[in-house]
Amino acid sequence: VEKTHMADPPPYPDTGDDTGVEPDRGSTTGMPRWVKVSGIIVGVLVLLVIVLALTGVLGGQHGPEQFGPGQHGP
Amino acid sequence: MTMTPGLRRFALSGHLTFSVGWVGAVAAYIALDVAAAAGQDAQTLRAAYLAMELIASYVIVPLAFASLLTGLVMSLGTRWGVFRHYWVLISLVLTVIATVVLLMETGTISYFADRAADPTTSGDDLRALGSTLVHSVGGTLVLLVILVLNMYKPQGMTRYGWRKQHEQRRALQPWA
Repeated sequence: VEKTHMADPPPYPDTGDDTGVEPDRGSTTGMPRWVKVSGIIVGVLVLLVIVLALTGVLGGQHGPEQFGPGQHGP
Repeated sequence: MTMTPGLRRFALSGHLTFSVGWVGAVAAYIALDVAAAAGQDAQTLRAAYLAMELIASYVIVPLAFASLLTGLVMSLGTRWGVFRHYWVLISLVLTVIATVVLLMETGTISYFADRAADPTTSGDDLRALGSTLVHSVGGTLVLLVILVLNMYKPQGMTRYGWRKQHEQRRALQPWA
């Protein structure tokens, strides 16, 4: 007889967020697809920003130091 | 350690207030940031830079820390935990990144405000300062991603979460 206790988890009646979503409704033990896809997208974006920064498209240094002392004197 | 339902609702109210307030304050900041980026009038630029620093220092930074703190309290005080679910973990990481970038950016914002407060700074100098638009718009996108994650709570447990859940079930059902 197939064990069914994993498919019938104990209820958590009050998770404190009122969204009707229970904390233990995971279905698989592996990393979910949305995490993998998001990770790939973020990786590509980070790579793109690095390439753009290295090629100078995004500009060089930024912050107060880019203006240099005395550059904006009266 | 799980909170009582009353305490949990109180903490959730605080967390929602601070988190949504953070997004709203950044929206107000972006309006000033756009004025700083596109403005030509020296008085407008001066006012925008000064207001940007006030909003960033006295509204956005405190809201960021309050949101981070109440988020941790909500995670630790409920069965969601901090490291058990991918959406909680990713939300925490993104919040920490957003807060760190915000703190780094306050240096630039303060510099702009100092220059704007200096009556000897000319209109040309003010126009040359630029803006923090890339960071403020990027930060808003990150906050919106966190907001969506918190609303939809996409499924998926970490290895740690599965182990903890298994341990709890064995404790509840030692015969299973």
